[in-house]
Amino acid sequence: MSDSSRPLRMAVPKGALLEGTIALLEEAGADVGALADPGRQLIIDAQGMRYIVARPTDIPAYVAYGAADVGIVGADVLAEAGLDVIEVADLRFGGCRFVVAELEGTEHTVEEAYRHLGVLRVATKYPRVTEAHFAAKGIPVEIVKLHGNIELAPAIGLADRIVDITATGRTLSENGLRIVEDVMESTARFVANPVSARIDADRVMGLADRLEQAARRIEGVGDAR
Amino acid sequence: MRPATPRGFRDVLFQEAAERRAVSDAIGDAFESWGFRAVETPAVEEYRTLEAGAGASLEGTAFRLFDVDGTLLALRPEMTLPIARLAATRLAGSPGPYRIRYAAEVYREQASLRGEARQFTQTGIELVGVNGPASDAEVVSVLVEALAAAGLTEFTVGIGTVAVLRALLDASGGDADWRDEVMRAAHKGDLVGLERLTRRERIDAAAAAALRAVPRIGGGADAIERCRELVAAAGCGSALDGLAETWRLLEATGATERVRIDFGIMRSFDYYTGLIIEAYAPGLGLPLGGGGRYDDVLATFGAPMPAAGFALSLERVRIALQEQGVTPETPGLDAVIAGPDAAEVLRAAARLRASGSRVRVSPGADACTAVAEAEREGAGRALLARDGRVFALAEDGSEAGEVAL
Repeated sequence: MSDSSRPLRMAVPKGALLEGTIALLEEAGADVGALADPGRQLIIDAQGMRYIVARPTDIPAYVAYGAADVGIVGADVLAEAGLDVIEVADLRFGGCRFVVAELEGTEHTVEEAYRHLGVLRVATKYPRVTEAHFAAKGIPVEIVKLHGNIELAPAIGLADRIVDITATGRTLSENGLRIVEDVMESTARFVANPVSARIDADRVMGLADRLEQAARRIEGVGDAR
Repeated sequence: MRPATPRGFRDVLFQEAAERRAVSDAIGDAFESWGFRAVETPAVEEYRTLEAGAGASLEGTAFRLFDVDGTLLALRPEMTLPIARLAATRLAGSPGPYRIRYAAEVYREQASLRGEARQFTQTGIELVGVNGPASDAEVVSVLVEALAAAGLTEFTVGIGTVAVLRALLDASGGDADWRDEVMRAAHKGDLVGLERLTRRERIDAAAAAALRAVPRIGGGADAIERCRELVAAAGCGSALDGLAETWRLLEATGATERVRIDFGIMRSFDYYTGLIIEAYAPGLGLPLGGGGRYDDVLATFGAPMPAAGFALSLERVRIALQEQGVTPETPGLDAVIAGPDAAEVLRAAARLRASGSRVRVSPGADACTAVAEAEREGAGRALLARDGRVFALAEDGSEAGEVAL
């Protein structure tokens, strides 16, 4: 039943993952059209594809509800969204990790506060991931959801610790923060709508395979350097 | 105050209600034509009943409440378990197999800000007391016919089996924790996680390779053969025998035009033991419905019996019909009848109804009001009863000839 006359609708993330996404699509032999220079256009038609340029955090919803057939999104955002999408392939770029961090030198005061109150205050953009992480460790937390500059929270007394993503750890150390522990690793993922993955399986899985192979080639080149 | 329905619940108005009933009846008639008979179960079940049958997959989906006795209850989140409970209790002792159908509202808790309904209508069947490919093929065939009867011109039914995954897990040599993780990844549709898990040490290489490759296999009879090669290498090729025979039976009835083998189907309820089914319509990002075989559920209710079935979401079937430009036929109003004398209007209306018409009475209204009302209500014509006679009314309210009753 897959109607191959219809373009495959792919949600691509604005921002940090866009460059890597375009490079990967090109390596996989997909027509990226005007994706590299979209101007204000948010929907870009190319050969056999319709790209929907979206905020990364909105991509799981686009794909879960079938507004897009497939999408590229970080594993971090995916875990936080908790929506019903098929996680088809690890695309190996956009690597970063979720960490718990605190102000350098506050280790004892944070531990003291925890012993006293029995609860930690944690600031994060990712409440769901944070909750799951601390619940698995049996540590009660009060979560403060912020929308940006999480690294500020301990310095201004808003939270004992933060949970945030970091690629190199530089922003954290520049703000005097020390990594306490890892929560999870994240890379970009190729995800599919549960129905598109079934009724359009040939195109969805075919693209997944090409992207996966392209990701290996790009990674190989990176390693060789 | 301006009252509103709670989030995720809504009222259904006249035209939509009529269309919903038309679709539900068409599907119900298709079920009935296979000898599936309707039952009704309470909206509320004891939570422990549902928990015993569905296990962890119930967590976070069921609306729970305490009654005054302190019993934990739940609004039914689906119909399979209530029907299984009914079969295990009320039908115990009567000779099976049972062919049961239902159309009922179900309730599921949803996080806010997701735009999801918390009440929807499921219509489906359960075939209780038989197993094997013939009954699997029956269930799939009923689904195909029901979707066609609903008026859908384009749809696909995907079928697979969890027997493959279970056999591969048994052959893998992995411990119980690892198997749970694999099942969780499979239920979530997390192929990346599944791939990672198969790279662990001490997992049988052939089973690991099959676990990675099988979810990507789909098609017709060829898909079963491709899957069999992989699964046979891990020593569990017989896990596919049932599905292969089901496919052969479906081919014999021509149902395979609408059916596709798909080993990537993952159903989130974890009580399935064999066949799994999902129905899709193009352009709809969620399945129309699904189901499968759950041979162990009735045993947990003390009446070990095999069973299989499926449920369709009436709401999603209606959206798919809309996308395909199909409007369900709904019976309209035949006439509005007005007149100065109420007794005369009621008498005339009674005679019209007796001859099979749908008539709305408007006693006391004049001709022009009757015409306007007929227009507004989509009635076929406006009538006026006066002086022992009934007249058809023209658009301007003038009498356009007498109507013989």
